[in-house]
Amino acid sequence: MSFKEVPFAGTVPSPKRENEGMVTGNWRTKRPVLDKDKCTDCLICWISCPDACIDQSTTGLAFNLKYCKGCGICAEVCPSNAITNVPELDYAD
Amino acid sequence: MTSSKLFEEPGLKQITVWARGVYENKEARDVVVAVTEAAALEGKFVQAWENYVDLPDRIFVPVRAYGKISDQPIESKYVYENETPDIVALTEETLVKGVPILGGIRPGAVLVVNTKRSPQEISKFLIGDTNKLKAVVTVDASGIKQGVITLSGAEGATDASGIGGGFSGPLAGAVVKATGIVSLESLLQIVKDKAAARAGYDQARVADAKSLGLAG
Ligand code: SF4
Ligand code: SF4
Repeated sequence: MSFKEVPFAGTVPSPKRENEGMVTGNWRTKRPVLDKDKCTDCLICWISCPDACIDQSTTGLAFNLKYCKGCGICAEVCPSNAITNVPELDYAD
Repeated sequence: MTSSKLFEEPGLKQITVWARGVYENKEARDVVVAVTEAAALEGKFVQAWENYVDLPDRIFVPVRAYGKISDQPIESKYVYENETPDIVALTEETLVKGVPILGGIRPGAVLVVNTKRSPQEISKFLIGDTNKLKAVVTVDASGIKQGVITLSGAEGATDASGIGGGFSGPLAGAVVKATGIVSLESLLQIVKDKAAARAGYDQARVADAKSLGLAG
């Protein structure tokens, strides 16, 4: 292998939605859980997530748990307290 | 000779502690340092170190600290990772999910987890070579003593905060109870908070792998 084939650290070809080399879901100790009744769709959590793993869908926001590292920023910034951090082992999946 | 052959050294015991990056680095390191220093008091040959490959400066990233204990001089002392651990300890319960904590374990290995949950509950999440486990042990080490969050002692620097002052003491106590790798008396000579380490030893819940339906 020549040095030209060695990937430059920490870079992701753009545009790209996901990077298999940077799966951070197993960093998570607490899982964000959304209360849809409280959510006003302001999207502050969406723009604040450092892993860009909050997906907008027609049924509301969804956390991509393959990448969510459980940092808790989304719950912290939510003005409506719609997100709760729940211990990860409360879930079997 | 491959590196895995090196670990056929008779009498060599490997202990691997998994932790969450940055905020549990010290506690993981303290568990291996406390247990190996206690073994050194008993005249054993020992080694303890942290795995730098694990990106230790990312908060929450799974990181490892290692210890080796042997009654013979350790021939594999330059092998950087514990490839076939006999003891696996977790500073935090969610490491059982999505992290290959049982990778390479030897038959008769013991898993010790810092959690309020029971060994039964923890064993439901285990994947990999569960049939090689001898026992699953849980202890609420964080409930006994809060973790110390410090960069003191990181990357080989002098540790001014002392060994075993946080939940590593009770977690090491649980390791000692479950494995008998050293005597409790030796461990208590090393750790800073002796009452907490003793409480960990007393409160550890040891469940036989067969009773959990894990043994093959
Ligand atoms: S916990 Fe952190 S990583 Fe996960 S969705 Fe919220 S902000 Fe993103
Ligand atoms: S910040 Fe809170 S209210 Fe706003 S979209 Fe996110 S969950 Fe909904």
